[in-house]
Amino acid sequence: MAGLLARIAERWNIHREPGFFKKLDHKWTMVIDLDKCNGCGACVTSCYAENNLPVVGKEECGVSRAFSWLRIERYVEGEYPDVKVKFIPVMCQHCSKAPCETGCPVYATYHNQDGLNVQVYNRCVGTFTCATYCTYDVRRFNWRTYKFEQPLDQQLNPDVSVREMGIMEKCTFCIQRIRAAKDKAKDEGKTVEDGDIQTACVQTCPTGAMTFGDLQDADSKVAKLAKSPRRYKLLEELNTDPSVIYLKRVMKEGPSKHG
Amino acid sequence: MILKSFALYIIIGITGIITFIIGYSINDYYSTDRTPVQPIEFSHQIHAGTNEIPCKYCHIYTERSRHAGVPSVQRCMGCHSIIKTESPLIEKLTSYWETKEPIPWVKVHNLPDYVYFPHKRHIRAGLDCKLCHGDIASMDRVTRVSSLQMGWCLNCHTQRGVKNGRDCWTCHQ
Repeated sequence: MAGLLARIAERWNIHREPGFFKKLDHKWTMVIDLDKCNGCGACVTSCYAENNLPVVGKEECGVSRAFSWLRIERYVEGEYPDVKVKFIPVMCQHCSKAPCETGCPVYATYHNQDGLNVQVYNRCVGTFTCATYCTYDVRRFNWRTYKFEQPLDQQLNPDVSVREMGIMEKCTFCIQRIRAAKDKAKDEGKTVEDGDIQTACVQTCPTGAMTFGDLQDADSKVAKLAKSPRRYKLLEELNTDPSVIYLKRVMKEGPSKHG
Repeated sequence: MILKSFALYIIIGITGIITFIIGYSINDYYSTDRTPVQPIEFSHQIHAGTNEIPCKYCHIYTERSRHAGVPSVQRCMGCHSIIKTESPLIEKLTSYWETKEPIPWVKVHNLPDYVYFPHKRHIRAGLDCKLCHGDIASMDRVTRVSSLQMGWCLNCHTQRGVKNGRDCWTCHQ
């Protein structure tokens, strides 16, 4: 019994060690410049197309079963003539200390060596615990098996599985693209370089507000942007340590001229 | 009365257990057909065994794609427009070629959709086809030798010390 406790304590200490998360292979991070975001929603559309997300329709949306892994939150400040609008795209934050991972009874959501918070669909039993624990409300549940009618089934992405009823899912940081880039790099005998991987939303963003890369690589675009004084993370005070970094939108004080 | 229902419960329980055991064993060996009947009685024994045609001559995508690729009818006709054209089986093949239809081969090694298995990575790592597919060259009709279950995959990954070989998202999608 004492031996077991000692072993548990030892494992616990390994994971609580300050440098633990620096031992990862990569630390995939996304930086979103809110100054550039105009809330067009192209990222949301691309996410639907890339990850085989079903379009659930009006009634299902009404009972908050909309399937967007990535949503755009709108914040409006002020009364009509002097309105300031801010948009924040919110997807899974891939928290380094994720609350959702602690709840799963079947270990279907866990942290992998790339610093990603991943969901294993065929292991998930649909207890909804992770969605309850999630701080950012980004997990989506398959309330039923959504069908892709002809000819929509022809546009499904073969690299992503089509989920069935009773499975929790969320943004994966387009892990299929990460895998493809690693595969390609391995064939060429290299390691993945900065800019090799673009998630669907990053690729689509017309203003280039989103950037994706490895935070551990000091020369990467992301690492440089992350040093910006405008940087912040969503609900940082909860100490979930998200992997998505936002750059604050700077607006002039006083009434805006363009309305 | 109580005794009677007790005996009934025991009988139901035993019947259930026996049905489960029989069903489980049947399901593994018979329901999932390990040697399905193919539309054309293609013999790997003649092609890969006697004639020693290398696997990659027909399954051309093994080295460069996720899928090994079932050879196209054109690839069959490449040889069989000249060789053994009078045989009734080849005539069947020619009829597919003339109607421009693919041959409806039955998949022997069928993986679920949530499994990501790239042939490319395994072949480039220097694995022999025989390791998973068995001695195909001696099979008249192809039989699935390996179980294709997760434990079987992980055994090999662990023994060979594959980098991140035990991470779920290495093989699942």
